[in-house]
Amino acid sequence: MIKTSSFTILTDRYNQFVLITDRVVRAVEESGVQNGMVTVLSKHTTTGIAVNESLECLESDLAEFLSRLAPEEHPYAHARMLKDYGSTAGNPTGHLKSHITGNHCHFVVESGKLVKGGAQDVYFCEFDGPAQRTILIQVSGE
Amino acid sequence: MFIDMHVHPAFFEPINGDEKREQYRHNVLDIHKNGTAPLEHIFNQMRCAGLDRLCLLPQDYTTQTGSAVVTNEEIAALVKAAPDKFIGFAGADPFDPRAAEKLEYAFSVLKLKGLKLHPSRQRFYPWDDALRPLYDICEKYDKPIVFHSGLSWEPDTLSKYARPVLFEELAYTRPKLRICLAHFGWPWVQETAMLMVKYPNLYADTGILYFDSAREFYRRVFTQDIPATWIDRSLRHQVMFGSNNPRFEQIRMAQAIRELPLRDSTLELICGGNAEVFLGGLD
Repeated sequence: MIKTSSFTILTDRYNQFVLITDRVVRAVEESGVQNGMVTVLSKHTTTGIAVNESLECLESDLAEFLSRLAPEEHPYAHARMLKDYGSTAGNPTGHLKSHITGNHCHFVVESGKLVKGGAQDVYFCEFDGPAQRTILIQVSGE
Repeated sequence: MFIDMHVHPAFFEPINGDEKREQYRHNVLDIHKNGTAPLEHIFNQMRCAGLDRLCLLPQDYTTQTGSAVVTNEEIAALVKAAPDKFIGFAGADPFDPRAAEKLEYAFSVLKLKGLKLHPSRQRFYPWDDALRPLYDICEKYDKPIVFHSGLSWEPDTLSKYARPVLFEELAYTRPKLRICLAHFGWPWVQETAMLMVKYPNLYADTGILYFDSAREFYRRVFTQDIPATWIDRSLRHQVMFGSNNPRFEQIRMAQAIRELPLRDSTLELICGGNAEVFLGGLD
């Protein structure tokens, strides 16, 4: 059995960590799948899905770490008019942070519940906000 | 007060219920993959950019594409939805036989604050007879005009209609008419500066980002193509911040303009003071 759902959020900052653990837990419980896997996937290329401990200090360190790897002031090639869009590409740092973070995560599903460690939470990571973003959740198994 | 004088609301969600109309807008403007934006998102974007007001500019290409891209009524509806955030301009197609009548209505009933015209797309020179009634109405209601100038990314546009020097006769013959050369007339920015230093009724907005990042391009244009001193000393009352959102990067441009080597008092003028004068006040 495969159950796919999605939800949309409006981020309101340029870089932002949004906790979505509850949404994932609920999607698993509502899927009817007893044993299998759940995948959480961002539909975008300047965002990430990450699993980490939900602490203010870590969020700050992660943001600072990514900004150090992809600083705003740098001669990026991805800073030009894009003909397909008819608009400018000004978000190279978002793409790079997305590349580092990855766009999905997986968890095991057992007895109809999401199995995760006590310190684990799921983040949607915005790297080019504010924006309207869509997250896919697919639960598969039996 | 930080005002973005150049925003096209074609993809604002409240005026995009109809899928065919939205697709028409994507095609006519050649802007794609951006979706539509709920007002809450627009307000989030304004907050991140530090903007207090957006000046909403419609496009009326009735005789070319069959309808206005955004109508004056749609602009008025958006302003009504957020009167503390939006300033609405009117559009007019100079070759539409009803253009003058529609503009009168836009100023007298819809209470729109100025007129937006696009010579490159609408294919007119500023001295064309078809424009005279529109200029007269703007003078009668004391409303300013924003002309597209310089390069246009829209399809079916010809740059020959939008060279800054073409607007000299209008600025000269109608000194009470406030006109803005959008996009600073890029790439002819020195020509725009030449006109501005000569004609105090001529303004320019900063809606340019055709190459590089906002920071790099603003630095290039406003410190090298035009020395920052020209703006800081001589043109400080005629430059207005504009982003040309959604084609360009509003948040990064708003940040980049404030990083230019200009006096704080000049930046205050560029970011809002000049727009208030150009608009004839905000109320």
